[in-house]
Amino acid sequence: MTSHNSPNELLNVWQSQKVGAIAMSVDELRRASNKLARRVFWRNTREAMAAAIGVAAYGYYFYEFRTPLLRLGSGLTVVGVLLTMFNLHRKGSAASMGKEMDSRSCLDFHRSELVRQRDLLASVWEWYLLPFVPGMSLFMVGLIQLTLSQPGAASRHGSIALGFAVVCGLMAAAFLIVWKLNKWEAGNLQKRIDELDAMKG
Amino acid sequence: MQSTRNPQDDLYRDAIDAYGAALSRLARAWEADLDARQDLLQEMHFALWRSFATFDGRCSLRTWIYRVAHNAATSHVMRSRRGKSRTLVSIEEIEESREMGSLAAKSDTNQSIEQTQILDRLYAMIHRLNPLDRQVILLYLEGVDAASIGEVTGLSSGYVATKIHRIKAILIERFHNGGNHDQP
Repeated sequence: MTSHNSPNELLNVWQSQKVGAIAMSVDELRRASNKLARRVFWRNTREAMAAAIGVAAYGYYFYEFRTPLLRLGSGLTVVGVLLTMFNLHRKGSAASMGKEMDSRSCLDFHRSELVRQRDLLASVWEWYLLPFVPGMSLFMVGLIQLTLSQPGAASRHGSIALGFAVVCGLMAAAFLIVWKLNKWEAGNLQKRIDELDAMKG
Repeated sequence: MQSTRNPQDDLYRDAIDAYGAALSRLARAWEADLDARQDLLQEMHFALWRSFATFDGRCSLRTWIYRVAHNAATSHVMRSRRGKSRTLVSIEEIEESREMGSLAAKSDTNQSIEQTQILDRLYAMIHRLNPLDRQVILLYLEGVDAASIGEVTGLSSGYVATKIHRIKAILIERFHNGGNHDQP
């Protein structure tokens, strides 16, 4: 029987284990590099297509609704969609996909990744939610105005107000939940960053 | 026709000759799932090859290789852990927990089975560790000295020394032949 009475003997077991070492040829690596570039391209294309759907929907509303408030709301929502997509592209993971793998110390690398994620989550209100607020708010006000101007609306003021209050409340709640959850996760990441800072000494 | 030799490609080949097996062990220690492990190993090789375009010799080749490989692994784990709830622990928490039991094999098993069992349990323990503690124990198992572990990880020498002390204690207690103190 083999004895493992000291850590050094375990080190030998570890280092002598049979592993299927692979060696990628330089051609394979170049192909992988091209593949990565293609992945970044398609990811950017998907983001652009998602933005295009939002722009097309609110572009249609802009064309279809004739009241100034609904048109302004639709136009601002289109701007909000474009701004959010721009922010996603600039700050999101797509931007880091093609980044050279860093050769800084593991602690610095790990910390910088956590800081990047924390900042992204902590500022979600500014870059993800806020761009939609002006356009969607005006759009909702425009919808209320349009509904109240319809024949017979005068007799249903109460139910119309209640309906819009529920819709607006749900939208506000959704924004608030997204914001709070991201804040909470950013706080967790900050704790991990503090722990890393303590390790550095 | 003779092809032009590229320093980046040459450095990559030298690195794989010397550290290819270590990278494979590292990938297994970072990723339990076989398919994901192959992906991670390819990511490490790719990251290493790309990194050599900017290798300036300010640190040793070994330090560079381990930094790039571990950073690629950290990145991989952070990506794949999104949406997963499994909690990673520190070496201290492993040391305090009693659930692992002795990792020593029974005396009637042959050497090969014994070593496989020990490695399986060692990998199981490593898979539970948080990224930095995992880096420290893996570098220790690869035979990297404390000063170099500090250089690779960026951790203070005192912190690395404390971690290695605890790692050794865990290995002696749980991998020691016949050491069944943790078992019920």
